[in-house]
Amino acid sequence: MSAALLSLVQWLSPAFPTGAFAYSHGLEWAISEGEVRDAASARRWIADVLAFGAGRTDAILLAHALRGHDPEALSDLARALAPAAERLRETEEQGAAFAATVAALTGRDLPPRPLPVALGQAAAPLGLPVAEVLALMLHAFAANLVSAAVRFVPLGQTEGQATLAALHPLIGEIAAESAEAPLDALGSAALRGDLAAMRHETQEVRIFKT
Amino acid sequence: MNALTPLSARLERSDGHALVTLARSRGAVRLRDLAQRGSAKAFLPRVEGDVPEVVFLNTSGGLTGGDRLSYRLELGAGCRATATTQTAERAYAAGAGAARVEVLHEVGRDGWLDWLPQETILFEGAALERETQISLAPGAGCLMVESVVLGRAAMGETLSRLAFRDRRSILRAGKPVLVEPLALDDRALAAAGGAAMLGGARALATLAMVGPGAEDALGPARAALGEAGVEAAASAFDGKLVLRLLAADGWPLRRQVARLLTVLRGRALPRVWQV
Repeated sequence: MSAALLSLVQWLSPAFPTGAFAYSHGLEWAISEGEVRDAASARRWIADVLAFGAGRTDAILLAHALRGHDPEALSDLARALAPAAERLRETEEQGAAFAATVAALTGRDLPPRPLPVALGQAAAPLGLPVAEVLALMLHAFAANLVSAAVRFVPLGQTEGQATLAALHPLIGEIAAESAEAPLDALGSAALRGDLAAMRHETQEVRIFKT
Repeated sequence: MNALTPLSARLERSDGHALVTLARSRGAVRLRDLAQRGSAKAFLPRVEGDVPEVVFLNTSGGLTGGDRLSYRLELGAGCRATATTQTAERAYAAGAGAARVEVLHEVGRDGWLDWLPQETILFEGAALERETQISLAPGAGCLMVESVVLGRAAMGETLSRLAFRDRRSILRAGKPVLVEPLALDDRALAAAGGAAMLGGARALATLAMVGPGAEDALGPARAALGEAGVEAAASAFDGKLVLRLLAADGWPLRRQVARLLTVLRGRALPRVWQV
């Protein structure tokens, strides 16, 4: 196991202080409406957000950041791609916390940026294969949503882990495709996922920030 | 040859470009230049009030593989204008390659554009790549709506083959402030029933406002929602207002969009919008 891979696993672990547990990516609204109500509907919701929403979008942005694409331009693009206020907040707040923590650990100068750009800039010197970094980022994103579903659908712990394991092949596919995709390939069809993020803004009882 | 795709058999590919330039002179917004070629036309109907209206149209009767279409509007400093399309645009099954549409509008300093094209109707097998870009100079703003209808619900159509890429972007002083790259292909259509996807909707729209006062319009926009059969929500952030709307069919969506536009614009819709 390389030191580089261990660093990345640490940065993407739920214990890393980006506060990921507080962001549900609109899933809290989908759960409260009964749209996500069991393991099967949770898996479907998360799979679609991964393949047709922020998962793939962030993977393509991350791949570009890893390859040294202008981080200012990528950050502007990442912000412009955020479809709703809470989705912008999610990527900016987590990105800022992530960059600050890695900067403190490594002594590097890492400014606050949207999460995939911050991660790409931090991870670039690790020299890991791009598709591998993308897969681990997507896995962390999916694991965080599964954890929200386990707590609030609720799902059993083992059921939650089975849901996450069932997403592994899809995560591998998206990572492989996004590693090579140009920025022109950005595309989204997870429209009700975006709608969920908007509706969460006016949801009366909210535990998550997004 | 597929019996469902009569228009793709058309031998000549259409190619159309229309460019309209408006500028402020002698206290009013006036037409400075109008260039049109091929299947694209533009005209300025007589309107009441001081906000001119530009209507673009594609005379080819719809888009199919290999077609090219471009609409451009340049608004000079301090100009306010509305631009729309005369009818819904239809994209038919593509025989060879994709149809490409480019919509590039520029809004000068302190100007404002309402870009209100009528809906795009996609038919089974359509391949359409469209790039809509509105570039705002400092102090400028815009209101943009894009509506897409997947097949004709009245005909019981459910699409399964599509290559649709529709990238909408708004730039402020050269920097992207809104980028929405809608992409619907066969895989997305197969998953379209998902609760995070279209949830079975066949008609979808995005309405966005960028510029001075855009975030303040959140309250009035939310209050104008509620049309039966339309699922919609609004969000205001980073100097913009964004609304997403979904419906089972094009008609309720159109009524909801019309109501929102009337509230947000404070004036009647372009005459070509028959609601």
